[in-house]
Amino acid sequence: MENKFNALIFSLLIIFLFPFAIFAQSENSKWGKADYSYQMPDKFEHRDYNFKEKNPGRFILKSFLNAYWYFISDVDGDNCSFDPTCSHFFLLSVKETNIVQGSLMFFDRFTRDMDIFGKINRYPFSSNGHYYDPPSLYMLKKDSIKYIPPSIIVKNE
Amino acid sequence: MNKILFLLIIFSTISFSQESNSAKSLNLFSPQNIKKFADYLFCQHDYIRASIEYEDFLKSGYNDTAAFKVGMANLEMGNFSIASKKFSNISKISVFYNISKLEYLRANFRTGNFNYYRNLYESENLNRDYKYFFEARELYNFSYLFSDITLPQKKNFLSSFTKEEQPRLNQFYDWKINPPYKNPVTAALLSTVIPGLGKIYTQNYSDGIFAFITVGLLGYLAYSDFHANHNFRGWLFSALGAGFYGGNIYGSAASAQIYNAKISFQFFNDLKNYLEDHNYFVPLINFCK
Repeated sequence: MENKFNALIFSLLIIFLFPFAIFAQSENSKWGKADYSYQMPDKFEHRDYNFKEKNPGRFILKSFLNAYWYFISDVDGDNCSFDPTCSHFFLLSVKETNIVQGSLMFFDRFTRDMDIFGKINRYPFSSNGHYYDPPSLYMLKKDSIKYIPPSIIVKNE
Repeated sequence: MNKILFLLIIFSTISFSQESNSAKSLNLFSPQNIKKFADYLFCQHDYIRASIEYEDFLKSGYNDTAAFKVGMANLEMGNFSIASKKFSNISKISVFYNISKLEYLRANFRTGNFNYYRNLYESENLNRDYKYFFEARELYNFSYLFSDITLPQKKNFLSSFTKEEQPRLNQFYDWKINPPYKNPVTAALLSTVIPGLGKIYTQNYSDGIFAFITVGLLGYLAYSDFHANHNFRGWLFSALGAGFYGGNIYGSAASAQIYNAKISFQFFNDLKNYLEDHNYFVPLINFCK
C-alpha cells in the first residue's frame, strides 16, 4: 500500500516537474521580451537596389546611386532631412522628366537642403519625421503642383 | 424588535414594488420615443444615428421637422447629394419650405460643382417675393469667387451683400481680379542676373542667400584653382558651380509656381472659412435650445 502511495506521489511529481522544467522561461528569453525596439526602421532597409533600368542613361545613373547608397549613405545613416532623400529625389526626377531637367531639379534640391533656417515654415512633415518634398512640385507643370501647408503631416509609404 | 424589522421590510417591499402594468406601458420604440431619442442624438451632433432614428420615425407618418432634420444631418455629414434630395422633398405647405429651398441650394453649392449650382440657382427663378431671396443671391454671387468665369462689375457684385460684409468681399474681389502671383519667368531671370535673387523674389529668403553663397563660393574656388594652374580642380568646381547656378535658375521658376499655388490655396481657404463663419448666408435655426 505504501509502495503504491509512493509511486503515485512520484508520478505526480514527474507530471508537474517535467512541464515546469521543459517550459520554464530562461532568464535571457524572459528579459529579452522587454527589448522590443520602437525605433523607426532605417530607410535603407526598403531601398530598391535593382539594376532593371532599360534606358542606358538611367542604368548608369542607377548604378552610381546604388554604389552611393551601399557604400556611403547606408553606412552614414538616415541623415537627409527630406523625404524622398536627395539621391532618391534625383532618381525620381530623372524618371519623371529627363536627365537634364532631373539634374537641375537635383541641384536645386541640394541647395534647398543646405538651407538650415527656412525648412520648418515651408515643408509639411512626412509620417517618418522628415520634410515632405516630392519631385512633382518642381516639374514646372502647374497641374502636378499640389500645395500642402507646413502644418500637415503627410502619410507617405 | 425582530418583528418590527420584519414588518418594516415587508411593508417597504410592498409599498415600493414596481407595478407590472406601468412597466408594460413604457414602450421605448413608440414613434414619439424614437423622435425624442433622435432629437437627443441630433443635439449631440451624432448625425449618423440621428438620421437613422428620424428615418425610422418617418415610417410611422410624415413629419416636416423630422424630414428637414434628416436633410440637416446629411448636410453636416457631408452627404450633399442626399441632403439636397431631402430638402427638395419638403412639402410646400411646411413652415420649413422656404428655408429648405435655401438649404437645397447650399447643399448643391457645397458639392463644389459651381457651374451646376449656378445653373440650378438660375433655373429656380427666385424673385423678391421669396423670403430668403437676398441670402440666396449672396451665396450665388459668392460662387463667382470660386469659379473661373468672368466676374460681374464690382458695384453689382458688392450690392448683394450687407454693408458689414462689403469690405471683406471687396478684398476677395480684388484678389480674384488681380491675384498677387509671382511670375516664374521673372524669378528665373532674376536668378540669372544674381544667383538666389529669384528665390528672394518668391519670398524664400534663406534659400536665396544659400544659393548665392554656394554659387559664389564654387565660382571663387574655380577661379582661384585656374589662377594657380590647378586645371582639374578648376574644371571640377566650374562644373559644380554651373550645376548649382542652372539649378537655382530652374528652382526659382519652380519656386514661383509653388508660391502661386500657396497663394491660391490660402485664398480658397479664406473663402471657405468666411462662408463657414457666416453659415453660408443661411439663417441659423436652433433646434437644441
